[in-house]
Amino acid sequence: MRIESFRRACVALVSLSMISLGMQAPAIAGVVSTGEAVSAARGESPRAVVDATIARADVQGKLAELGVDAAAIEGRLAALSDEEIAKLAEQIESAPAGGDALAVIGIVFVVLIILELVGVIDIFKKT
Amino acid sequence: MTRLRLAGAALAALLAGCAASPPLKDGLPASAPRSIELAATPFFPQEDFQCGPAALATLLVASGVEVTPEALAPEVFIPGREGSLSLELIGAARRHGRLPYVLASTAEEMIAELESGRPVLVLQNLGAGPLPVWHYAVLIGYDAERNVAVLRSGREERVEMKWQRFAGSWHRGRRFALTTLQPGVIPRHAEPGRFMEAAAGLEAAGQRRAAAEAYDAAIVRWPGEPLPWLGRGNLALAEGNRAAAADAYLRAIELAPHDAAARNNLAELLLDAGCLDESRRQVERASALAAGSALESSVADSRARIEATAKAVARCQFGDRAWPD
Repeated sequence: MRIESFRRACVALVSLSMISLGMQAPAIAGVVSTGEAVSAARGESPRAVVDATIARADVQGKLAELGVDAAAIEGRLAALSDEEIAKLAEQIESAPAGGDALAVIGIVFVVLIILELVGVIDIFKKT
Repeated sequence: MTRLRLAGAALAALLAGCAASPPLKDGLPASAPRSIELAATPFFPQEDFQCGPAALATLLVASGVEVTPEALAPEVFIPGREGSLSLELIGAARRHGRLPYVLASTAEEMIAELESGRPVLVLQNLGAGPLPVWHYAVLIGYDAERNVAVLRSGREERVEMKWQRFAGSWHRGRRFALTTLQPGVIPRHAEPGRFMEAAAGLEAAGQRRAAAEAYDAAIVRWPGEPLPWLGRGNLALAEGNRAAAADAYLRAIELAPHDAAARNNLAELLLDAGCLDESRRQVERASALAAGSALESSVADSRARIEATAKAVARCQFGDRAWPD
């Protein structure tokens, strides 16, 4: 019974934090944000706020799926604008993720094997 | 042996891609020094897959922030992608009070940053075609005579790369180059729109003081631009300073009489201050200015809300008829 109520408290806390994530609005509701005005000045149409809230939840879920510590996600997303979150939601699986240069060696090897197999080169020849 | 050499040549061609960049001295602006090396740039050897945190730490420490790659990893690393995304490097830089500015994609701009003493974070694609290998490194210098780029990269404190090879990998890395500025500093080649986007990003991330410094610097650098004033007004409004917000919006309107954003926000401010008639007048003007623009729906929302408020507090319709005590 106690565990059940603890679980409930946890769920409530997490939901609360999720709701608060979407509330990055300025002090007065209808103000055009600086970022929105900047993109409008560049001729880009700003995304609706509703989209941004959905995108935030979307990115949150994806980051968790990709192994990011749940406690860190909120802070990471808070550092991005609504537009950036929307971009991230689209690109999180496809955008370049800078990692390790060492993988190059493995790739060179794979390429060599492919070239060998299709007969372009013949360096792994059996004597 | 010949075969091996041929295979090597084929591979080199594959890895170098097709982007042919000129040697450094052909592209070097006449005013730039023949060689630069920011030797004092710190070095953080990267852990597995952690070139993002390592490269970002290099930049942040160079700009005066005390931070380590280990502290940055939980802010940018994505285990499932075995790497970090540039958008999240940008977010993390903001969290540490710096203004991340994405350079326009020219080598000239990177060189200008080096000249100003700031190393540049670059995304390289060390693979090619269907086999990309994404890697973040930090450009700390170049030598035009020897035609090399000098980098802090991965586990190596100092890597020299032939300039064309470096430029090729950067082209294939979608020419992403990032500098982290102390708020108030503006790169030499910065465009107002790009800089304002970066400054507004700081504001959106809740770094108000840093954003204010960036807007102030933009006001000095581009005195004719209305957007820094709009940013100033929005910050003042968020802090509850109505008088300062009104002044800033008025400056923005003075500089760009046909800009709907500042007018819309002025109307919101007036509504907040209880000046209904004036608020309505301003939002009507904003709505006319915004017609057909990207701000049309935002302004329409404001207008609807202001009209609704006006209706709610409309004057008594019974005139001076008497009512019981």
